Amino acid sequence: MIDRRLIQNVDWLLLVLLLLNSLVGVLVIYSASHYLPGNFYMRQLFFIGISLMALLVLLLVDYQVLVDYAYYIYGFVMVVLAGMVVFNHLMKKGSWIRLRYFQVQPSELAKVALVLAMARLFAEYKRSTLTRGAALAGAGLAAVPFFLVALQPDLGTAVSLLSILAGALILAGLERKTIIAVALLVIGVGVAGWHFYLKDYQKDRLATVVFPDKDPRGSGYQVLQSKIAMGSGGVLGKGFKKGSQSQLKFLPARHTDFVFSVIGEEFGFVGAAVILIIYYAFLLRLFKSAGKARDRTGVYIVFMVGLMMAFQLIVNVAMVIGIFPVVGIPLPLLSYGGSSLLANYLGVSLVLNVKMRRFVNI
Amino acid sequence: MEKDRVYEDLSLIQRRATVVAASIGIILLLIGLVCWKIQILDHGKYWALSEANRFRESVIAAPRGLIKDRNEVILADYTPSFRASIIRENCRDLDVSIENIARLLAIAPAELRLRIEKYASLPAFQPIVVKDNLDLREVSRIESRRLEFPELIVENDPRRFYPFGSLAAHVIGYLQEVNPEELKGGTFKGKMLGDLVGRTGVEREYETQLTGVNGRLTEIVDSQGRPRGQAARVEPAAGGDLGLTLDFDIQKKASELLEGREGAIIVMDPRNGDVLALASYPTYDPNKFITRFTPQEWMDLMSRPDHPLENRVIRGQYSPGSIFKLTMAAGGLKFGAIAESTTFYCPGFGQFYGRPFACWKAGGHGALNLTGAIQNSCNVYFYNVGRRLGVDRIAEAAESLGLGEEKTGIDLPGEKGGIIPSEAWSQSERKSPWYPGETISVAIGQGPVLVTPVQVAVHTAILANRGKRVVPRLLQAGGLREGPAGAAAGEDSRPGAIPAGIYETVVNGMWRCVNEGGTGKGADVDGFDVCGKTGSTQIIGRETAERLGRKIMPHSWFTGFAPRDNPRVVVTVLVEFGGMGGATAAPLAREIFALYKEKYD
Repeated sequence: MIDRRLIQNVDWLLLVLLLLNSLVGVLVIYSASHYLPGNFYMRQLFFIGISLMALLVLLLVDYQVLVDYAYYIYGFVMVVLAGMVVFNHLMKKGSWIRLRYFQVQPSELAKVALVLAMARLFAEYKRSTLTRGAALAGAGLAAVPFFLVALQPDLGTAVSLLSILAGALILAGLERKTIIAVALLVIGVGVAGWHFYLKDYQKDRLATVVFPDKDPRGSGYQVLQSKIAMGSGGVLGKGFKKGSQSQLKFLPARHTDFVFSVIGEEFGFVGAAVILIIYYAFLLRLFKSAGKARDRTGVYIVFMVGLMMAFQLIVNVAMVIGIFPVVGIPLPLLSYGGSSLLANYLGVSLVLNVKMRRFVNI
Repeated sequence: MEKDRVYEDLSLIQRRATVVAASIGIILLLIGLVCWKIQILDHGKYWALSEANRFRESVIAAPRGLIKDRNEVILADYTPSFRASIIRENCRDLDVSIENIARLLAIAPAELRLRIEKYASLPAFQPIVVKDNLDLREVSRIESRRLEFPELIVENDPRRFYPFGSLAAHVIGYLQEVNPEELKGGTFKGKMLGDLVGRTGVEREYETQLTGVNGRLTEIVDSQGRPRGQAARVEPAAGGDLGLTLDFDIQKKASELLEGREGAIIVMDPRNGDVLALASYPTYDPNKFITRFTPQEWMDLMSRPDHPLENRVIRGQYSPGSIFKLTMAAGGLKFGAIAESTTFYCPGFGQFYGRPFACWKAGGHGALNLTGAIQNSCNVYFYNVGRRLGVDRIAEAAESLGLGEEKTGIDLPGEKGGIIPSEAWSQSERKSPWYPGETISVAIGQGPVLVTPVQVAVHTAILANRGKRVVPRLLQAGGLREGPAGAAAGEDSRPGAIPAGIYETVVNGMWRCVNEGGTGKGADVDGFDVCGKTGSTQIIGRETAERLGRKIMPHSWFTGFAPRDNPRVVVTVLVEFGGMGGATAAPLAREIFALYKEKYD
């Protein structure tokens, strides 16, 4: 059923870097939560196992087949998201679907669906620059999940979806003046959002990026505590399980969104830099796969997955070191959380899929 | 021109991918630089902040020293308790905090606000006590809301407790919160906001000795403020205990005797000035206001017309009445105005300076010598002595017998002196000459003569000691006391002191007063040789009282000592509006003498 050549062409290095990042994550999650009930590091290991299996299973299917069904997958996920919006509206619940044993965040899976749909849309787009029609089509495709996720409300994940759209448009040849126009539009939307959409706590978060010390007990608290954790780590850090900021719970969301801060505190600047380097090696390897793709679809898939993960990494770390507002975006692969992990593994699976099938003739 | 061309190869979009990947690398590098700044350049600052996060300093309050009687009965103890304080610098919005705290601790918001405003001038990091004597439910209510109320802290607060309530309240005194002016003025060294300090009594007098040194506790806490371990602990040093000269049983008896009256009793050892009992009535329960708040009870006490907070023993100024006849007798003998055998005839009144002066006994006493006059407290006899002496020599005698402006030096704050008139006094205080007729009133302790009960006790001790003056003291010898100006007991070495022989005569009169059916017979205790003198002082003239149509009772005095030879105890009793001294005060003194004899003989 699967060709031996395909296995030989699997990018093992990428897979190793993926698992390395994930296992560093488990280590840090252990340090940040071993004193809490719930065995988070064990559960994360379990998620990694599940996600790895999903990754391997997905490799069995040619990505072209997946792209063929992209709109159906996309449609299905949109229906689930819409259903959740309605359901939440009625039940006042969060953005989780509670299954028998685990909770699943469909908004994370929307990322994978959007990557596939976007690849399908741009597969036959062969112009060197982006036309307005194509841009609008792409924007429309992204807008539906964006609003459905934003309504949950999960602004962080919704914004991550836009990075996928941005990836597609850049690749399709977005002109510089269009980028500027979009930037202006984003600012406009931002201002409007500030007045009509953002909740007070979100406004506070934005405001405290600039002045985290102003209000040490309020929304600046998280950022300040995170910076204290990073800064107090120094060059080599306080040592594994010895970070007072995280062990004494001054740090918010230690094993989820602020996991990078734990690294900075316990392993110092060296630890933080090593993580960034490993991560960049992983991303570089991932982007390089684009050069090996056999077709346009493949390039799009690789690029969008790479940009999506890079975007989350940059936003998360920027937030942890206090140069970006606190939005609920986890550090991909390192933060605790099954849905995010699964979505990223599926994304990487698509990349591997593209790369290993580069010599296969259609 | 390129626009419409279609490339089949992927190099263009692949190049775009490479550019983006490179840009991501640059962004990550910038992020790495920010990490460098935070983690390496600013490391010191953040390290200090993380240490400050970890540790919480708190004060372990030192318990106040105990106050005990001479037999180690604890009169002032302490019990553990907790208090809640607000730290204003941790408030997000003071008004909101006040509302929330008022609700949490069930205090009236207006009262809480008033309290916080009272201390507004102090630095915002200093905790202001908002409620004390918390019960355990309140403590856990606060502890469980650390996050909601970062501005509220609970502190250990060993609380003063007086096991016998109002017993000896005027000796012990009471505590109140130190006020901001005192803190700034440095009245109390080492005190902090919210600390209680002695306001009166030995609590005030020995404040420094009773105050311990607070300890410090440095705890490692988590972000919820929950302790996770101790980093350092400096144990508090408890304040020094005070051993008082009081005798619990006698003090208790004195309190019981005064119950329901207004008056004062002081019991003293004439040999060394040890005060065995000091009671003032009405009294109060100091337990009721060991709080940082001004409770209604205290306001009520302040405004009551019978002044329960006033220590009558050291601050009540009264006419001595017939007690002053002892001074007249000693003075008369000293200045040779009379001899022991000098006899006057009492027809019930006497004519002096063109005015009749009555004796208390309507029919008169007939002919009396000096000891007989003391025994029966004959006014007419002493009118004559007074006329012969003149006011200035009376004053000289009184002052050498412990009366007058000079205070006794008892170790209690707020003691008042008395007044013994003289011609110079009249000129300087009244701006008018002294009239010889006034001397006749002074001779029986009326007119502008004022003494305090403690002065009368010292006066009696001088007589009992045949001239040796003592300073009354509440702190036992060998206690903490450094010694004030006059210090411990000592002979009166002032010039013009009365020769010892004269005392024997006066003491003889006092003995007859009690033991031979005199006015003081009510104080007689079998086999104890009590010597004493009664006094009854008219507050207003008999005519005025009759005009008002009211029966105005005089203040009732008795002062005495026992036994006659080698006296061991002095008892002075004053009952305001008590009636005749012999009828009211003397029997009270008898009870004390009897108890003393029973206990110490």
